[in-house]
Amino acid sequence: MDKISQWMDGELGGHETREQLTRVKQDAELHHCWGLFHLIGDVMRGERALSQEFEQRVAARLASEPAVLAPRHRVVSHFATYALSAAASVSAAALVGWLAFFNNPLVPQPELTQAPTTPAPAIVPSEQLASVPSDGKMNEYLIAHQEFSPSTEIQGLAPYIRGVSSSRQVEGR
Amino acid sequence: MAQNTRQSFLSGGDGSSVKLAWPIIFLGLVAPAFAAEDAARQDGFDWLTKMANASRRLNYSGTFVYQHSDRIETSRIVHFVNPAGGEFEKLETLDGPAREVIRTNDQVTCYLPDAKTVTIEKRSTRRFPVQLPEQLSGVADNYSVSITGMDRVAGYDCQVIVLEPKDKLRYGHQFCAETRSGLPLRARTLSEKNQLLESFAFTELKLGGNFSRDQVRSRYAAKSRDWKVDHSALVLSDVPADTGWTLTRQPAGFRKLTELKRSISGRTVMVSHIVYSDGLAAVSVFIEPLPKTRPAQSLSHQGAVNIYVRPVADHMVTVVGETPAATVMQIANSLEFRGGRGK
Repeated sequence: MDKISQWMDGELGGHETREQLTRVKQDAELHHCWGLFHLIGDVMRGERALSQEFEQRVAARLASEPAVLAPRHRVVSHFATYALSAAASVSAAALVGWLAFFNNPLVPQPELTQAPTTPAPAIVPSEQLASVPSDGKMNEYLIAHQEFSPSTEIQGLAPYIRGVSSSRQVEGR
Repeated sequence: MAQNTRQSFLSGGDGSSVKLAWPIIFLGLVAPAFAAEDAARQDGFDWLTKMANASRRLNYSGTFVYQHSDRIETSRIVHFVNPAGGEFEKLETLDGPAREVIRTNDQVTCYLPDAKTVTIEKRSTRRFPVQLPEQLSGVADNYSVSITGMDRVAGYDCQVIVLEPKDKLRYGHQFCAETRSGLPLRARTLSEKNQLLESFAFTELKLGGNFSRDQVRSRYAAKSRDWKVDHSALVLSDVPADTGWTLTRQPAGFRKLTELKRSISGRTVMVSHIVYSDGLAAVSVFIEPLPKTRPAQSLSHQGAVNIYVRPVADHMVTVVGETPAATVMQIANSLEFRGGRGK
C-alpha cells in the first residue's frame, strides 16, 4: 500500500515502479486501491466525473500502458501536492468520507453559513456512494420534477409515467 | 475529453492544464459549422417542436413499452383532446400490479385496485411547452442535433432525431417521430458510453379518432365507490418565491428555469423547489426541514433519472434530474444558503 502511494507520488525508480505495476496487475485488492486512489486524486483536483466505470477504465488503461515507465515518475510529482502519501495510510473508507465532507473546500459550507451554533456532523459514508434503484419513496419528488422537465415534455409522455413505474416496483416485490 | 485527461495523467502530463486547454481547441475546431450543418440542425429543432406539439394536440391510443435497467413494462395509453376544450389521458399498466391513471386537464386520479385506494391530485402538468426559441438555444448550446434517417416503429414510418451531448454533464437522446404528425413513437436516453438507460416505445398505435369520453373513463369507476379516497394532494399549491438558496457552481449550460415554494404530498410544510435546465434535461432541487431521523446521503435512480439526497445542516436536500449522477451531485454539493428572505 505504501509503495503504491509512493509510486503515485512519483517517488519510485523505474525498477520499483515496474515491480508495483506487476503487483497491482496481479492483486485484485491492490488494483482496487489503485483505482480508488486515482479517484480520490481526481476528486481533489475538482474533476468530479465519479463514474462507476472508472475502475475498469483505469484497468484497461493499465493493461494498455507501454512497459517503458522510467520518465514517468518525475512528472507525476505534482500529485504530492495533495499529500496523498499521508492520506494513503489512512483507511480508504475514512478517506472517502473525509472527501465527501470537504468536497468543495473553496466554497463556504452551507452548514457553517446556515447554522453556526449547531455545526452539523460530518457526512461520513462508510463506502463510496453506490446508486440503487429507486424504491418508490421518491415518487413525489419525481413527479414534481417532471412537471418541469423539457425532455419529458418532448417525449410527449405523461409526467407521472416514471412514478407509476417505480410504485409498481415496490408493490411488485 | 476525460480520456485525454486520464491518459495524460497516467503518462505524466499535467492533467489540469490539459483539461482546460482541450475544450477550447475542440470548440475552435467545431465552431465554423457548415451551412449544411446549420440547415440540418434547424431541421432537428423543427422536429423537436413538432414532437412536443403533436403529443399534446393529437388524439391517439396505443400500447407502449417502458424499458429501464433490465426491466420492461407495458402500458396502454389513450390521449384525447376535446375540441370544446380539455385534455384527457388514460394510462393503464398491462403487467405487474394494476394501476390506472386518469388525467383530466390538471386533475390526476390514480386507481390502485390492490390497495382499494383512489388518490386524486392536482398536477400542473405540461407547464413547459417547448418555448422557442429560448429553450432551443439552450439545446443548441449543449447538444449536437442531427437527423440521421428513417426507421419504423409500431408500423409507422418515423424520422430519427439524434441529440448528442457536447459534454459529460448530460445524456444523449434519440427520438423517432412519426413522419406526418410528428408524434414521438420512440424516445431513448443514452449514457456517455452509448448504453441505453431508458426507452419508451409504442408497439401498437392508432393515430387520430374522435373524442369519446368513455375511452378515458376508469374501468374501476363503479367498483371504486367504496374504496378509500385520498384527497390530500388535491390542494397542492405553489408560488414563485425567492428561496434564499443558490448554487455556487452551476454546471455549465444549465440555467435556472424557475424557483418556487410548493406543497409536496405527505409533507406538512412548504418545500423550496428550484429547477435548472439545459434546454432539454432538467434538474430539480428540493429543500425542506430535516425529518425527525436525519437521512443518510443516498443516491438512487429510476431509468435515466438520478436522485441524490443529502442533509445540509438542518435541511434535507433532494436533487432529482435526468442527467448523469455527477451533475445531480454537483448541484447538490454546491447548494448554498445565501441568507436573507425566508428559507
